[in-house]
Amino acid sequence: MVAPKQKQSTLALIAELLAEQSRLQTPVAHASQSFEQIKNHKSEIVNFRSLIPLTQPRPGEQYAFEVELDSCTGCKSCVSACHSLNGLDDQETWRDVGLLVGGDRAHPFSQTVTTACHHCADPACLHGCPVLAYEKDPLTGIVRHLDDQCIGCQYCVLKCPYDVPKYNERLGIIRKCDMCHSRLAEGEAPACVQACPTSAIKIVTVFTSAPQLSALNSPLTSSFLPTAPDPAYTQPTTRYVTAKKLPRNLAHADATTLRPQPAHWPLVVMLTLLPAAVGLQLAQLLSAADLQRSTFNFHWLPSAAAALGGLGLFASLFHLGQPLRAWRIFLGWRKSWLSREALVFGPWFALTATIPLLDWSLGLGHWTLPVAAAATGLLGLYCSVMIYVDTRREFWRFAQTAPRFFGTAAVVALAPLAPRAAALALLLKLAWESRPFFHGATSSRLFRGPLARAVLTRVLLALATIVLLAAAPQFVTYWVTLPLLLTGELAERYLFFRAVDSPKMPGLPAA
Amino acid sequence: MKTPAALENLLHARTGPMTTELVQHPAAFDLGLGRVPARLAPVATTNTVCGFCSTGCSLRVHLDAEGQAINLSADPDYPVNLGMACPKGWEALTPLAAPDRATTPLLRPSRGTPLAPVNWPTALAVFTDRFKSIQQKHGPHSIAFLSTGQIMTEEMALLGALFKFGLGALHCDSNTRQCMATSHVAYKQSFGFDAPPFTYADFEESDALIFIGANPCIAHPIMWQRVMMNRRSPEIVVVDPRATETAQAATLHVALRPKSDLTFLYGLAHLLIARGAVKPAFIAAHTSNYEAFAAFVATFTAAHTTAETGVSVATLHRLVDIIATRERVSFWWTMGVNQSHEATRTAQAIINLALMTGNIGRPGTGANSITGQCNAMGSRLFGNATSLLGGYDTTNPAHRAHVAATLGLDVALIPDHSGYAYDQILDAIERGEIRGLWVIATNTAHSWINQNRARDLLAQLDFLVVQDMYATTETAQLADLVFPAAGWGEKEGILINSERRLALAKKVSRAPGQALSDFAIFKLVAEAWGCGDLFREWCSPETTFQILKKLSAGQPCDFTGIRDYAHIAESGGIQWPYADSPVAASATKPTLSDAQLSALTSQLPAQQRRLFADGKFFTPDARARFLFDAPRPMPEPPDGDYPFILLTGRGSSAQWHTGSRTDKSAVLRKLAPTVLTAEINPEDATRLGISPGDRVTVRSRRGTAAAIALVTPTVQPGQIFLPMHFGTVNKLTFPSFDPHSRQPSYKACAVAVARLE
Repeated sequence: MVAPKQKQSTLALIAELLAEQSRLQTPVAHASQSFEQIKNHKSEIVNFRSLIPLTQPRPGEQYAFEVELDSCTGCKSCVSACHSLNGLDDQETWRDVGLLVGGDRAHPFSQTVTTACHHCADPACLHGCPVLAYEKDPLTGIVRHLDDQCIGCQYCVLKCPYDVPKYNERLGIIRKCDMCHSRLAEGEAPACVQACPTSAIKIVTVFTSAPQLSALNSPLTSSFLPTAPDPAYTQPTTRYVTAKKLPRNLAHADATTLRPQPAHWPLVVMLTLLPAAVGLQLAQLLSAADLQRSTFNFHWLPSAAAALGGLGLFASLFHLGQPLRAWRIFLGWRKSWLSREALVFGPWFALTATIPLLDWSLGLGHWTLPVAAAATGLLGLYCSVMIYVDTRREFWRFAQTAPRFFGTAAVVALAPLAPRAAALALLLKLAWESRPFFHGATSSRLFRGPLARAVLTRVLLALATIVLLAAAPQFVTYWVTLPLLLTGELAERYLFFRAVDSPKMPGLPAA
Repeated sequence: MKTPAALENLLHARTGPMTTELVQHPAAFDLGLGRVPARLAPVATTNTVCGFCSTGCSLRVHLDAEGQAINLSADPDYPVNLGMACPKGWEALTPLAAPDRATTPLLRPSRGTPLAPVNWPTALAVFTDRFKSIQQKHGPHSIAFLSTGQIMTEEMALLGALFKFGLGALHCDSNTRQCMATSHVAYKQSFGFDAPPFTYADFEESDALIFIGANPCIAHPIMWQRVMMNRRSPEIVVVDPRATETAQAATLHVALRPKSDLTFLYGLAHLLIARGAVKPAFIAAHTSNYEAFAAFVATFTAAHTTAETGVSVATLHRLVDIIATRERVSFWWTMGVNQSHEATRTAQAIINLALMTGNIGRPGTGANSITGQCNAMGSRLFGNATSLLGGYDTTNPAHRAHVAATLGLDVALIPDHSGYAYDQILDAIERGEIRGLWVIATNTAHSWINQNRARDLLAQLDFLVVQDMYATTETAQLADLVFPAAGWGEKEGILINSERRLALAKKVSRAPGQALSDFAIFKLVAEAWGCGDLFREWCSPETTFQILKKLSAGQPCDFTGIRDYAHIAESGGIQWPYADSPVAASATKPTLSDAQLSALTSQLPAQQRRLFADGKFFTPDARARFLFDAPRPMPEPPDGDYPFILLTGRGSSAQWHTGSRTDKSAVLRKLAPTVLTAEINPEDATRLGISPGDRVTVRSRRGTAAAIALVTPTVQPGQIFLPMHFGTVNKLTFPSFDPHSRQPSYKACAVAVARLE
């Protein structure tokens, strides 16, 4: 279309109005602003002293959030005020809201629940952190996160049963609620407390010494949310108080929402290749017992173990948001299985990488190093298993996790020497890992629902591997079956991450 | 031995750039802020009124050195919100930065092709050419506009004046038809002027608050804050079919059948009369038509009312008892009343209750309509749609002459009759009578009742212009031409809240690209059309405000006592009426010294003022009228094929209307379900084999919506609740309208529900 001619006056007005539109701060704005600043002098800082403790906690006490459920009518300002007053990234929130539903026709019930970090007396995040990036403030009990210490491994996300630590993609680290500790230190209320129109959120002082706290969290006097994940694990300090009698059939509005968890591909690769590498090392040891002196050449096993091990460990670096800080990973060894895993697999890889170099000069008869490497590897796998067991998630319990990780190693170890036994082992492993498909509450629904195709892929790959192991000649077993086996195990490990139950505070319906 | 500090920090980094990023600092002393994040430390602040709902909260915007907004917090000094804001307010700046802002005019070269950027001269030329050619072919009234309660009062006035006096068109309406038309008509008929009588302090000063079809916890959380500040141990009664958040927080929830509210209110009136709980002296002195009303409600006995509404006799009597015995009773209503097939009479039934019990004009009383949009009240006074600018009657020659004289216009330019209402404009499009439509800051293709038909009709137009911040709204997607508009925060003007408070919205952010304020766009249209001379004095929003002041003179809404924008900002907003003030007088006496001026400025208007303290109403006889009609059944009752009643309403405090702004905020998106949820009673769910979280379809005679089931006893058996913010909901709704207010009845139609396999 040809632009029709406009009158000169219109063109001039367009230019004038566009210029005016781009000008900020009209004279009126300036005038009213200066007036407001005089007026603001009087109000200065909004004071919320009635909503925060007047004194600091004494020994055996700490600060805690107290949420008065009866006053919370679901405006959710706390979430956005926390976001704005803490200067969080666009999509980042440290507070969440959810909905509880229940009751009956005579007494219908619904309740918005606001939740942030519970600043637990026994924080699982802190215990799991491999680099000691969590600290519990000795005076206030606030669980603080050291952003410059964090390596972005996100293990705290798995450890926290309340889904509190939030991963920040931009920074590659975790960030979380710190109860606005610097505001509290100045006698100013935390952002959420300031922003609640009905004063439903307060900071209070609670007992943290054992007898009082366990009384606090006992089923009789529980002041924690009754439907939330069991407080016995981490001793969350947030108190949810209500004068109402909560209905017995209370449920999270998102109770049935299926949330497949992140795959964590670098971990999937690592946790497939490391057991495989350890399996190859075991195969090498088994070859010593190979009395029939089979024609198979075992010489390549140490190199393959080193290659897979190196690849697995290398892959794990991609999981970290801040890999350059990963050298600190040993710091948490006293409590963190992740530190322990790193402390074991580090030396293991040194051994594993050395063996192929030494093999040629010292000959196959020299077993000290291979035995040491395999033993270290098994210990490392045990640490890997415990990392997940320690999250106390149903699907990752020891009975499910250990057979998976060690099972992979076992099948790989058996395959060269005793393929039929390997086939049987894989069949048993497949049967065992299928149990949650029938029994696990959340995981079962994930398997049958959004993960059904992945489950089918995993089963088909395993069955094909079993057939090949049982029926094919040995060279096929190694050059075709092993990659097939590992692909199947990758699928299994993918499901291991995706199908895990993920406890959390109540969420919104269909969220 | 201590580890050296450097080694300690290396091993255990307590400081560093990422830690510093979140450190809070005390704001500069004179900003009136607490600690603020270092990343967003402001150099100045300014207060501005929020542009979402009618509560009219003041937001303290944090500015950088250029005056650009970088953050905001709630204004602690404002008489409305007292330092609080809802999530929409907290996130008010976020939608301005959305990536899908319209940054240039967009033109669709032909139907079926995508919108393409054009410059302003071209866009204006196309606008005038197309609309003028439609008018030449089909008459001056063959173009119409649909506007909004979301723009500034000055913009509404300029648009209304431009369209009727400049473009010679007649038919125009706004989305306030969907929310406030009923209150407007009800007040006008009962009180003689559209005058909500209350002030927010009434929430705190009431002994009994009766909320009818209102859910302030979700729709107006900051008003609910004021209810919670009430120290008089008030009874809080909620009349609503659903056990809403507000109903659960109430002392009495009356879960009546949907659309039985008129009968219920007449029943209350009858029982109050029977009990002798009326105020005969007040009725005699200040009202008219009471006897006829009393006779009319005589048949609404407790038995009849219970049978029709499903409310037990005991509950009825408890409520009557509350109204009869509490000293200060206030009645509050919102969309549950306004969006009904007999909405006006229902609102007036509430007004009648307040009048007969003398609950008006005193603190903590009143028949109070809580408005919806931030400037619905501005639209009601200055939209120039149904009534003439300033609340005048367009059919009254004296009024037309007065307005013409005030504006310096030829009186012949002012039409002598009202144009069509929203639904009638759409009907006229169907008949081919209206061929060109200009949609400003509203989203008809999502929000209008029976949406499929509305979309068909928009597609049938010869020319559709959409003026919006976003070219991505459902309606803009259908447009032939899009004008890119600056939004709230990018322009100045006055918004009028529920309690008649004029407040200043300020420009704190640059509009993207070539987006212009609605005011500037209307000025450009006037110039391009060739009628710019009519509006020479309307050169800026503030000069236009001075014109509006003149128009208000002598009207019930008279605000000639306001000096200028600064006066409003200094006063914490000013409620109309505000006719005389020393401050305004001073403006005409430039000889006053600064000291005198500042002394005058300190005489600020009282911050909480209500109407009718003297019992004088705005009718010719100064009496409030009792108005009533026999209740009618809902137009589309449930039946065998469609056995459920569909209720619609606000879903959360984080969502605003069709979500064109609130969906732009990642934070707000987290605060509400991201997919449509259908609330269904457990009994119905069990019967239909629906489990929580199941996918279901909700189907009416007009359309289908897919949803996720939320099984909850907060909805009664036989009812389904859907939040209105999702695009498919209005595919279901049944197009019926209140005969007086022409407001659509969104809250009752027949649907069927089924589990989706």
